[in-house]
Amino acid sequence: MNSVPEPPRRILVVGGGVAGFSAVNELRARGYEGALTVLSPEGLPYDRPPLSKGYLLGTEDADKIRLAPEAWYAERGVEVLPERAVALRPAEGGVELDGGRLLAADRVLLAVGGAPRSLRIPGGEAALTLRSRADSDALRQVLVPGARVAIVGAGLIGAEVASAAVGLGAEVTLIDPVELPLAPAVGEAIARRLHAMHGERGVRAVVSLPVEIAAGNANDGAAHLVRLADGSSVVADSVVAGIGIVPETGLAAAAGIAVDDGVIVDPSGATSNPAVFAAGDASRLRVADGTLLRRAEHWEAAVRSGQAAAAGLLGEPAPAFGAPWLWSDRHGVHVEAVGTLDPRQAPGSRTVLRAVGGVPQAAFLLAADGHLLGCAAVDLPLMVRAARRMIDRGLTPDPDALADPAVDPRKLAR
Amino acid sequence: MSLATRVDIMSEAIDVGSPDEIEEGTARVVEPEESGFDEPIAVFHAESGCFYALDDTCTHEEASLAEGWIEGETVECPLHSSSFSLRSGKVLCLPATQDARTHKVEVAGGRVMLYPGVDADEAVRAGE
Ligand SMILES: Cc1cc2nc3c(=O)[nH]c(=O)nc-3n(C[C@H](O)[C@H](O)[C@H](O)COP(=O)(O)OP(=O)(O)OC[C@H]3O[C@@H](n4cnc5c(N)ncnc54)[C@H](O)[C@@H]3O)c2cc1C
Ligand code: FES
Repeated sequence: MNSVPEPPRRILVVGGGVAGFSAVNELRARGYEGALTVLSPEGLPYDRPPLSKGYLLGTEDADKIRLAPEAWYAERGVEVLPERAVALRPAEGGVELDGGRLLAADRVLLAVGGAPRSLRIPGGEAALTLRSRADSDALRQVLVPGARVAIVGAGLIGAEVASAAVGLGAEVTLIDPVELPLAPAVGEAIARRLHAMHGERGVRAVVSLPVEIAAGNANDGAAHLVRLADGSSVVADSVVAGIGIVPETGLAAAAGIAVDDGVIVDPSGATSNPAVFAAGDASRLRVADGTLLRRAEHWEAAVRSGQAAAAGLLGEPAPAFGAPWLWSDRHGVHVEAVGTLDPRQAPGSRTVLRAVGGVPQAAFLLAADGHLLGCAAVDLPLMVRAARRMIDRGLTPDPDALADPAVDPRKLAR
Repeated sequence: MSLATRVDIMSEAIDVGSPDEIEEGTARVVEPEESGFDEPIAVFHAESGCFYALDDTCTHEEASLAEGWIEGETVECPLHSSSFSLRSGKVLCLPATQDARTHKVEVAGGRVMLYPGVDADEAVRAGE
């Protein structure tokens, strides 16, 4: 991989998550006709969001959550190998697989995702985490009627697992040191509404920091006792931690590629090695002025970075993307956010709410000059789609129209 | 089943209303009880003024495409934002990877006529 042949004839994608999958899709869509192989130790690529939603609840099975059927790969001449890479071997022009075989490639895309961050407290290794289908299967085993489940972290995954767990009949305690989880992502008003739903659905939400997972005592008949910083404790048959991920940077770092809480990439996915690109949760973007952005850990960001890396792999300019978007499903509602809702990122900005009967349906962040920066909404998909277009076009919507539930979102962006 | 029988069964058109009953940029769902087809069908009135029909349920998970964002000749799913071509049913972006089934629609005699089960492309290919 030292001297980079132009154009690439043999591309190897390491990791079959949604970032790797999107890159493969985009490479073929852009007309790349060379060899294309995906290393996917978990088998045919599947989608992760359902692992804390339908798949965990048992309403969607393994077939349903596959990103594409087997034939899709065959039709596009894409080889999927259920193998793990153990080292990048730039000098030898390839990647070493588990078992020692060397797979030749003139360009490599690292789309290796990350591992759930573990709870760094005494006894923390007892906590279950959720990243893979196998993790979801294991979690499903313990989310049974009457089980006492303590969930640490009330962010996206923790809240979704809490929702699924009560749905399956478990008694859930949701622990987070932050009073209003998700406020930076969806704004305070929507975060408050979402957080209140936990209580309404019978989840006990506790604001504190776990300091230890001790063995439970015989009286409770529970395996664990989660001790909290405020002196209280939670009796639990199972503990689940949903506190973010640690990006997988080992392969890159061992090959001398620059990493810093993620494999550092430019907007077209290029790393510090010209033959190696990176995308998805494993990567971290450095923008033109040199600033390292925060990793996104969201589905659409992974898709976009995979698409951008596909362009980069082919030596083409990266496409321009609009405002970022994320969603979450919990307690029967569909939450979405586009752009930014964090007023700290935009001095002089103000928040406008659209509410029905005092319940916020949507929140908007407007810049000081009136243009739309972000929108979060609960069960209001057209509003989010309208907002996305207004943000991308730099529109300055009438705040009264945004706030008025009678105004059809479709009229706002047209 | 011979082609003739199939055409007989499938080509029965359903009157889904006058063109102005479906506002431009919106869609109407025709339920199985009304169409005799086994899936709900969304009849779209595109911004171009043309009418199109697709299976209403997104090919990804459970969402009604009629409730999606209709723009130009595409519809964007209200749940996870996959887009589909209204004309061909082709999926244009992830997470869905399967195309949507199309149904033939025509405006005749001031009525929007839906042909449940008749592929829009097939209708075009047949020179209709
Ligand atoms: C339970 C859950 C729910 C989520 N819900 C949402 C949601 O509702 N909305 C949202 O926006 N986002 C959600 N996300 C986030 C989203 O799924 C991730 O951002 C996305 O999956 C990242 O994709 P990726 O391809 O970068 O990484 P991954 O999906 O982690 O894929 C990486 C792949 O690389 C493989 N791999 C790792 N090391 C190697 C190696 N050495 N050799 C070969 N292969 C390797 C792994 O096995 C894995 O399959 C959720 C995530 C999880 C876990
Ligand atoms: S249900 Fe339509 S994109 Fe997911």
